[in-house]
Amino acid sequence: MLKNFAGSIALAGAIATLSATALHAQMAAKVDKPVTITFYNYNLASASAGADATRDLIREFMALNPNITVKGVPVPSNEILSRVQADMAAGQQPDVAQLVFRDLIYIANDLGANALEDMVPKQELAAHFTGMIPQGLELGKVDGKTYGLAYTFSTPILYYNADLFRQAGLDPDKPPRTWAEVKSAGEAIRQKTGKHGFFPGAYGPVDGTFVYQAIAMSNGGQVRNGNKLTFADGEGMEAVSMLREMVDSGAHARIDVASPGDTMASGNLGMFLYTSALQSSLLKSAEGKFELRVAAMPAFGEKATRPTNSGSALFVLSQDPQKQRASYELLKFLTDRHAYTIITTKIGYLPLRLDIVDDPNYLAGWVAEHPMIRPNLEQLNRLTANVAFPGPNYRQVEKMMMDGVREAIFGKGDAVKTLQTAQTDAQRLMPR
Amino acid sequence: MTDTTAGTLAFPRDRARPRSTSGRWHKLSTPWIYLAPALLTLIVWVYAPLLEAFQLSFYRWNMLPSSPKRFVGLDNYIDLLTLPEMHIALGNTAIYILGLFPMSVLLPLAIAIFTQNLAGRARTVYRTLIFVPMIIAPVVAAIIWRWVLNEDHGLLNEALSGLGLTRIGFLIDPDYALGTLIWITGWKLIGFSTLLFSAANGSINPSYVEAARMDGATPWQITRDIRIPLLSPTILLLSMMTILFGAQWSFTYINVLTGGGPLKSTTNIFYLLWDYGFGSHSVGWSSAAGMIAFAGFTIIALACLRLMKRHTVYDN
Amino acid sequence: MTTSLEMTLAAPASSTRHANPASVKWGRLLVHATMVLLCVIAVFPIYWMVASSFKAENEIFSLDLWPQSPSLDNYRFVLNQIPMLRMLANTTIVAGVTAALHVVTGLFAAYALVRWRFPFARVVYGLIALSWLVPFQVTMIPNYVLASKLGLLDTLAGLIIPHAAAAFAVLMLFQAMKSFPTEIIEAARMDGAGHWRILWDIITPNLRASLASLAILAFISAWNEYFWPLLLSRSIENSVVQIGLQMFMTQEGNLWGPLMAASTLASLPILLVYGVLQRQVIESFMKSGLR
Repeated sequence: MLKNFAGSIALAGAIATLSATALHAQMAAKVDKPVTITFYNYNLASASAGADATRDLIREFMALNPNITVKGVPVPSNEILSRVQADMAAGQQPDVAQLVFRDLIYIANDLGANALEDMVPKQELAAHFTGMIPQGLELGKVDGKTYGLAYTFSTPILYYNADLFRQAGLDPDKPPRTWAEVKSAGEAIRQKTGKHGFFPGAYGPVDGTFVYQAIAMSNGGQVRNGNKLTFADGEGMEAVSMLREMVDSGAHARIDVASPGDTMASGNLGMFLYTSALQSSLLKSAEGKFELRVAAMPAFGEKATRPTNSGSALFVLSQDPQKQRASYELLKFLTDRHAYTIITTKIGYLPLRLDIVDDPNYLAGWVAEHPMIRPNLEQLNRLTANVAFPGPNYRQVEKMMMDGVREAIFGKGDAVKTLQTAQTDAQRLMPR
Repeated sequence: MTDTTAGTLAFPRDRARPRSTSGRWHKLSTPWIYLAPALLTLIVWVYAPLLEAFQLSFYRWNMLPSSPKRFVGLDNYIDLLTLPEMHIALGNTAIYILGLFPMSVLLPLAIAIFTQNLAGRARTVYRTLIFVPMIIAPVVAAIIWRWVLNEDHGLLNEALSGLGLTRIGFLIDPDYALGTLIWITGWKLIGFSTLLFSAANGSINPSYVEAARMDGATPWQITRDIRIPLLSPTILLLSMMTILFGAQWSFTYINVLTGGGPLKSTTNIFYLLWDYGFGSHSVGWSSAAGMIAFAGFTIIALACLRLMKRHTVYDN
Repeated sequence: MTTSLEMTLAAPASSTRHANPASVKWGRLLVHATMVLLCVIAVFPIYWMVASSFKAENEIFSLDLWPQSPSLDNYRFVLNQIPMLRMLANTTIVAGVTAALHVVTGLFAAYALVRWRFPFARVVYGLIALSWLVPFQVTMIPNYVLASKLGLLDTLAGLIIPHAAAAFAVLMLFQAMKSFPTEIIEAARMDGAGHWRILWDIITPNLRASLASLAILAFISAWNEYFWPLLLSRSIENSVVQIGLQMFMTQEGNLWGPLMAASTLASLPILLVYGVLQRQVIESFMKSGLR
């Protein structure tokens, strides 16, 4: 066992040196011979408009770049990181991957994703970044370097069922703007219609942490400060206690955390805080049954909200200079004006380039027809990056936090004590 | 027929018939050639990875070739055994097994005896229908039940509220979720077990029953003193299957329906080790949990076999 | 004992002859009521899946036992979104070949264990039996790495090869062969028949019922396999039908109508097999205990 141990340390050392040299090798200037790259993508893994749009984009890209073949690898979003990791372990180096923000630090530090600043010549990168909103570029940065380029992302918006509002004696033209208003509206819906009041898409297995973090941060809370966990402290704790009070008062529903979207779609939920990506499918289900409307995410009193991003970024994992160039070309294509137009109109995410919103060549016509995207575009100005956790146990830490949050909100015990216990337990798994 | 399976896991200690004596020594390799396809498959795809997992259970590692494996001795085991999550998982594993008993053993036994006089077409139809859940894919079963049990638009809750009862969050209320998953697991088994008991019950020599009746035994006495002892091989078989595999059978439903929640109420040892491996990339913990599960169930299996050997009653 | 099933099927029990007719009638009714209830519990959820699959999007949450206006939209959607027929063909190949391999590897191994007494025979038997208890969750990741090194990712072979042998197949055939009369084998040996001939020409034909049972059971369980294909599939064209289901469980919520249609399509072949071979199917499950 000891020999083995020494061996693996030596091996790790060798690999570390190797990857250090690889890091400084810049990608090729252009792709001059045929090359095939893999693209791990989760939109491809579900039967949806997103899959069709993604396939179209890949096809267009290949037509423009005849030397590059892109092989899409469809993997559901909650498994995509394990798959990338398993393939690396199996010696099948992935090239480009669409991964979620919660794994950001791990992807940068452990998976060996390429920092764009190290891989791409300065001017070239600057040219591509021109026109992107700085808050959006911030999302994929670790220690000042860009590892992920925000791809399909969104912020939480409040969907509401205008019919339930009317039945509960509320004015659907005045959707709740603060949490206090959400609470009273939720109670009214619960009591007058017997349906569910409010629910955030914050607790499900594929929800990540973005809705929860958006709520906590809007109150001024933080899930961590450096390597110190702070999700059970101060304003963050207040936010959770507020949700707990809403559960106790009946304003906040107790429904299947994995499928609140279904409850909303079937007309049984009054207010639903979740990503705009659900908009088109909710609209379709609501058609002819109830009137669906959207509003900005609620605020804590007069504090400005700090909407956090959901969704994914694109990462380049290739080590080969030719493939790196091909991957970067794909990245550029997928984060340019044309692709963002498709992503916004077909998949339902937000454009990282606001200059296309009023450009008639891109989004202007569509936005005019779909005013429901406005609250979400408006929130982009206050976009606050989702906080990922560091260290080898980050997933476990995140899971313990979310378990603690669920227990604090839905459990029987004292919310503060529950979340503090979770924080103490999870702190042990954080890097020191 | 039923008692053959019961003995299946144990190698027969003695054989009644003579063996071919020719070439026992110079044909030593022949049996191995015949064994090779099955044995190699199992060694390559089951035992080699098991050994690897055993080794990894002493390391801390996240599966990446580029990150170092750190030898931590027994730390993973110690960590696991002190984690509250593990205690919940082990406790739930026991609840899954115990909870399955009524549906895999007791109820089917009662139904088999209660309905033993059925005959003809009706019997064939019943047999055909109650067996159907057994052949449905677990993932399909999970999907169907999620659809039927949904709190707001699921059929069952609509029925409950139609009857003036309150809706139940079958999969979302920590007080109900575990029971719901046990029910779904049992739903697939109940028809199968009933048929197995019916078959065994039907093969009981009628003259025993007749003799007892002549002696004035009541139906209950006949059931208690004749049928149940004669059905004991089947009872033991199904009990053993439930103990050894009950928690594993629930895995698909946990994975697809609850992810171990709400509030960890439905997790079990198999889900926990899966979650450590695929959810949080803690290979060391996952492997250690796997070893604990494997060792635990092996010990239970050996104990069951011993017990079975001692208590088997033959109907011959 | 092997005929017990047929016996129960007939089972004209004679035990009621002393009881009085009225109570017999009520008793019978109660018995039928119990069985009908059990049947409803067993079959209704499956019926509900089929009924829901014919409901259009705006009717999907309704509770009508049969859709007001049955539509094939969900099926059309499924067939448009995923190569369902190709996946059904893949699944048939995977399940068929897996079943055949189970039978062959099981037959060889069982023959070796029954026929010869050799060193470590008991250890081998123990290893085979014990492999049943190894949790698949533990072996999946190392197996994935191995499958990738062998170039088995995204191939049907990758779905088959790791399941080429199974403990339950060996054990089931071992039991069946053990009860095979030795005298016949000895007689064949006297006539100079080799092991190969004994296995194929004498034992196999006589074990037809057990082999069929095993094949059916292996086919069904390979058809229903979910987690290994889920990990191994890289393109939907080279995947099996159970994986198609999760295309409709999206991050944006479940597409219930198409999901029910896809589930129905995925279950249909097995239900058809069951419809045709139901006696054999039931028997095969009961012979092997549980899988």
